[in-house]
This record gives sequence, structure tokens and C-alpha cells, in this order.
Amino acid sequence: MKIKVKLFAFLQDQLGPVVTVEVTNPIRVTDILKQVSQLAPQLTTTLANSRLAINQEFIDRDEVSLTANDEVAIIPPVSGG
Amino acid sequence: MHYLRISDEPIDIADLYQRLVDPQYGGIDMFVGTVRQWTGKIETTKIEYSAYQPMAEKQLEKIAMPIEKQGGRVVVAHRTGQLGLSDIAVFVGVAAPHRAEAFKWCQYIIDTLKREVPIWKKEYDTDKVRWGN
Repeated sequence: MKIKVKLFAFLQDQLGPVVTVEVTNPIRVTDILKQVSQLAPQLTTTLANSRLAINQEFIDRDEVSLTANDEVAIIPPVSGG
Repeated sequence: MHYLRISDEPIDIADLYQRLVDPQYGGIDMFVGTVRQWTGKIETTKIEYSAYQPMAEKQLEKIAMPIEKQGGRVVVAHRTGQLGLSDIAVFVGVAAPHRAEAFKWCQYIIDTLKREVPIWKKEYDTDKVRWGN
């Protein structure tokens, strides 16, 4: 299944606001991050420090099952304030 | 009730302060974060803030709710878009019955915001552009 992943900040600067990744459920969060880092190796460090959000909630599990309707986002280290 | 806003609009401290005023409270603590020129030897000229807006609002809600349940009132505003030196990037205000909670909750909110709310700064420094952390 192909899913769209939203990107922000430095990741968005490099790859645009959305990338598509191929997943087979269940999938490890680190595998999603790895797929994105294959698109742009200069992002590996940032991605290693990023978190996944599904439907606008941080996911702290190692493994997830996604549906086509889920809103998936990679959240790089935040720097508000 | 709390008031939480992420917006391109400039932050109006007088308006936000008014939202905290209430006879049930005896202490109002406010933190105002502004754009700083120097960080060591690095000189910043402007900062551009961006947000994952719906998630950022949800995260702020999660931070504010437990404080409101304990009897405080929370007002948070964060700017997005381009800000110049000394512009206000963030406002955190807490009204509480007494000053100890007002100080404590205000610090808790800004510290938690900096860790858990998906907002990012892109710093335009005189030597290069940096994504903040």
C-alpha cells in the first residue's frame, strides 16, 4: 500500500511537503524513516532524530499498522518558542 | 477558558493579558519570547516560523487542559511567518489563585511547548540559514 507522508521544516525544504512511501502492515516506524532517508541521504541525521505522528498524534510504538485514510507525518526536532 | 492561537498575526500583549484577568485569580505570570540578535558569535537577522498547525493546536490543548483542571487559566499565542529582531514569537500567560502556581505552570508550559509542539524556526543568520533546534 502506498501512503502519503507529510514533511516539515528542513525535511520539507529538501523533499517538498509530501512524499509517498510503500508500506506493508504492520510496519516499523524506523523502516518508514529509512525509506524517506533513501530519497535524500543528507537527511539521515535529522530523520534519526524525528518522530512519527499519525492523525496528528505522536506515536511512541515501534510498529504501526496504517490505513489509506491515516494522516501520517514525520516530525523533525521542534524549535518553537 | 483557555485561549490558544497559532497565527501569522502579530501578538497583542494587552489583548492577551485581558483574557487572563478575573477576580478568582490573584497571580498572573506571563512569558514573552522575542527574536534575539546574537547567539554567541552568530548574528541573526530574522526568523521564519512554520507549524503543523492542527497538530500544534492539539498539542497545546493537551498541555493546557491539566492546568485548567487544577484551576488555572492558560493563554498561549505563537507566531508563524517572518519575524524581525525583537518581534514577539511566543506569549505564554497563566492566571492562578496564587503566584507559586502561576510561575510554575508558566514555566512548565513554555518548556513543554519547546519539546512537544510541532513548530519550527528557520533562522536567517549573517553567515547562513539554520534550522533551529
